[in-house]
Amino acid sequence: MHTGIYLFAIRLFKKKFEVDLRRRAVYRPDMKKILILAVLIVLFVSSCGTKQDKEIVITWWHFWTDTGIKPVVQEIVSDFETSHPGVRVELVDLTWADGHDKIAIAFSSGTGPDVVELGSDWIPEFSTTGHLLDLTSRTDALRSEYLMWEPGQIGDSYYAFPWILGTRVLFSNNELLTSAGYSPEYYPGYWNEWLTACQRVDALGDDIYGFGSNSAERHRLYKKFLPFLWSNGGRILSNAGTRCVLDSDKAVEALEFYLKLSETGLIDTQRRLEDAFLEGKIGFIISGDWLLKRIEKERPALAFSTQLIPAPDTLAQSISFAGGEYLCVNSKSKHFDMAFELIKHICSPENQLKFCKQNRTPTPASLIAASHESFAGQLHYDTFFAQLQTSKMPPAHPKWVYIEAALEKAIEKALYKTETPRQALKTATQIINEQLLK
Amino acid sequence: MTSDGRYKGWALFLPWILTFGIFWLFPLIYSFFLSLTDYRLLDPTVDWIGFANYARLFSDPDFITSLENSFIFVIGTIPFTTVIALGLALLLNEKLKGRTFFRAAYFMPSITSMVVIALIFSNLYARGGYLHFLADMIGLHPPVSGFLLSEKTALASIMAMDIWMASGYYMLIFLGGLQTIPDELYESATLAGASRWQKFRFVTLPMLKPVLLFIIVINSIKSFQVFVEVFVMTKGGPLNATFTGVYFVYETGLKNFDFGYASAAAYVLFAIIGIVSILQFKFLKTEWKA
Repeated sequence: MHTGIYLFAIRLFKKKFEVDLRRRAVYRPDMKKILILAVLIVLFVSSCGTKQDKEIVITWWHFWTDTGIKPVVQEIVSDFETSHPGVRVELVDLTWADGHDKIAIAFSSGTGPDVVELGSDWIPEFSTTGHLLDLTSRTDALRSEYLMWEPGQIGDSYYAFPWILGTRVLFSNNELLTSAGYSPEYYPGYWNEWLTACQRVDALGDDIYGFGSNSAERHRLYKKFLPFLWSNGGRILSNAGTRCVLDSDKAVEALEFYLKLSETGLIDTQRRLEDAFLEGKIGFIISGDWLLKRIEKERPALAFSTQLIPAPDTLAQSISFAGGEYLCVNSKSKHFDMAFELIKHICSPENQLKFCKQNRTPTPASLIAASHESFAGQLHYDTFFAQLQTSKMPPAHPKWVYIEAALEKAIEKALYKTETPRQALKTATQIINEQLLK
Repeated sequence: MTSDGRYKGWALFLPWILTFGIFWLFPLIYSFFLSLTDYRLLDPTVDWIGFANYARLFSDPDFITSLENSFIFVIGTIPFTTVIALGLALLLNEKLKGRTFFRAAYFMPSITSMVVIALIFSNLYARGGYLHFLADMIGLHPPVSGFLLSEKTALASIMAMDIWMASGYYMLIFLGGLQTIPDELYESATLAGASRWQKFRFVTLPMLKPVLLFIIVINSIKSFQVFVEVFVMTKGGPLNATFTGVYFVYETGLKNFDFGYASAAAYVLFAIIGIVSILQFKFLKTEWKA
């Protein structure tokens, strides 16, 4: 067919060229023939695509661009293609800087990928606006095998499959604790003991700090405060999710304690706090598994411990902040069954294990993967897994961006002492309630 | 002109017209239309709400703060940038040894990526950074956590960086202006017994006024649009101390996806920049004529 179209186009123009050359006239294009040629080109191009049309292409947008982990992602995808002949997976790399915007714009313009990786707090805004496929019936049999479905749950429906989870634990510097008169691996189980330990470490010198407290760093600060709020029995929203309850006594107490800890320490950005911890200048810091990797790479000699975030008292439980990576299917995907198959493949216990081992992540969402022998006995991994069992995620709410902003502003105001914790939380409650009513 | 010539003219013009129409004119008109709706990026339903977004803006404390910060930024940077740029230009217009090197050196920051400069300054301003260390050493008692984490010094720190960065660029424009002043004017002034200051006051400055007007207008527009510095260094914090007008538009549009509201904010900012530019033209031009 291609040869036929080509020969026809040659014949069409040959005669005209010959005449023009003989007359030495300026060549004036014949619009009719150009139009015919354009149609032929379109036919040619479309005939070239026939073979590809038989192939199912699943696009997957993901955030794992680091050269250390990308080959594992590619390997998982290759395995899927091998076990599903005729299916090709197109990987598209996103960055945390603008990935969220790209996903939103793509969904809004109807050009979203078949499968997309979403951060746990992004899911409600996409699911409540109809951009994600309801996976409830597809995941019925699988839900008992994976942890933390809540961020993807709206009412009784599930829109996201948990892939890789993460939580924050307490890191402590063993040498500073020894200098402050404690045993190297001293664990302050409750708030009062923790505050005393921070004060004693802080008293060690001008350049030594008890606690690493996050400064006004957007999208991070609230994650550091929520463990205090939750551990103290406070909540952001009422059970029904219709009313903000941040002005409760429990919430105020939590913020007051957070400020007391901050007074014993250094207030800085997360990155710089971690730098100071690596330099051995901070006694206690709350951080995630990425800090384990940094210590291993940058300060392997640092003597440190990881422990559960202390609870307020003997009656309370240590609750931390959990986040995670979730996989979702575009509700407008032409191949949603195959897209879900891909998600199941990526999240299978063996692939989660492969991924977590390479990425040195101690918290896969799959219970089978998490209980694998390769995780057992790994120093610090047990702490992360134990903390994950009592970790919570922020409420899955379509107006979360506004709730987060108001909460962070309240913590900032209290931290910078422009308002008391009670005033700041009361203002935040009013702002959030106004948003919830809209 | 023949009709053939006219067509050729339009054909040559077409790439620019298309680019202008698609990437400038259409978004401009479309965003005004959006500002009259409650359009949210992920929400398929769009309602016409008239000027409600504009009314909401003026009761939004975040927007008011962002405008205040933008005005502080403009008022706080332009006089310094202009005076420093003019001073450097006067100095480097003289026949000094190595002036080509200094011209290039002062101009260099303005051709360096703003992101790179902002990252370098973030470290200089941070606790333990060179500027923080220096301020501490000379007894200025800088904020313990660094300049960018204090609501009292964050905006001023970004402004200082902006002055440092922009001065070289405007210096070059002043230099261009200085070199167009005829030598005869200075010779006449010398014959009339004018001092160096008098030559500057009565020859250089009046002759530079068109350039001065251009620099003030351009710098005002640029300063009202400050964004990258804030995005890289502070994200509008702490306590909204560096939350500027364009950052408000960015947060509202691309973080909260409230496109209708963000478009209204962009139009208000556009109007403010337009009014300020017109006023600058009016006052500075009148003085020049007189």
